[in-house]
Amino acid sequence: MASGGGGGGSKMADKEKKKKESILDLSKYIDKTIRVKFQGGREASGVLKGFDPLLNLVLDGTIEYMRDPDDQYKLTEDTRQLGLVVCRGTSVVLICPQDGMEAIPNPFIQQQDG
Amino acid sequence: MAANAATNPSQLLPLGNRRRSRELVDKCIGSRIHIVMKSDKEIVGTLLGFDDFVNMVLEDVTEFEITPEGRRITKLDQILLNGNNITMLVPGGEGPEV
Repeated sequence: MASGGGGGGSKMADKEKKKKESILDLSKYIDKTIRVKFQGGREASGVLKGFDPLLNLVLDGTIEYMRDPDDQYKLTEDTRQLGLVVCRGTSVVLICPQDGMEAIPNPFIQQQDG
Repeated sequence: MAANAATNPSQLLPLGNRRRSRELVDKCIGSRIHIVMKSDKEIVGTLLGFDDFVNMVLEDVTEFEITPEGRRITKLDQILLNGNNITMLVPGGEGPEV
């Protein structure tokens, strides 16, 4: 209780300094290839060229992957080159580095030998 | 571009990379742009303008539905495209014509 009172004082000062602090610092991804997933199931990857606090992104050399009902999660099907695009931050649900991920066989399938 | 900067509340940031998104769309005004929606719909048109919510005014518009694999409607005059469902903007893009 006593420490809560002391912490409250420093928090007020912090609020005045940090008004638009993002929880994710995208500047470390500039000029790197990132993968972006959108609401609605679209996925794209490209080189991050710019961004703003609203999470609008500028991607270069963009490849879009689209999901079809029969497609499940095959990435090589239905890709297309889009080039330089702006991605709307309101639509972005996930951002990750392209290098930091790889496709693996489904770990949840249980082989049942009857 | 100056008007956009004045209404943009994030004026504490330096102008470096952080402004690229808005600038890119701004430079596209007057040229063709290809809009990809959250759904399987895409719009190609000439960009006349946009607002802070990226609602867009387009001209000479062609609307594409991707799944039925065909061009839908070609609309002339001007449309106001609701920015709620916009996922990507491709400046100078011509759309999904195969």
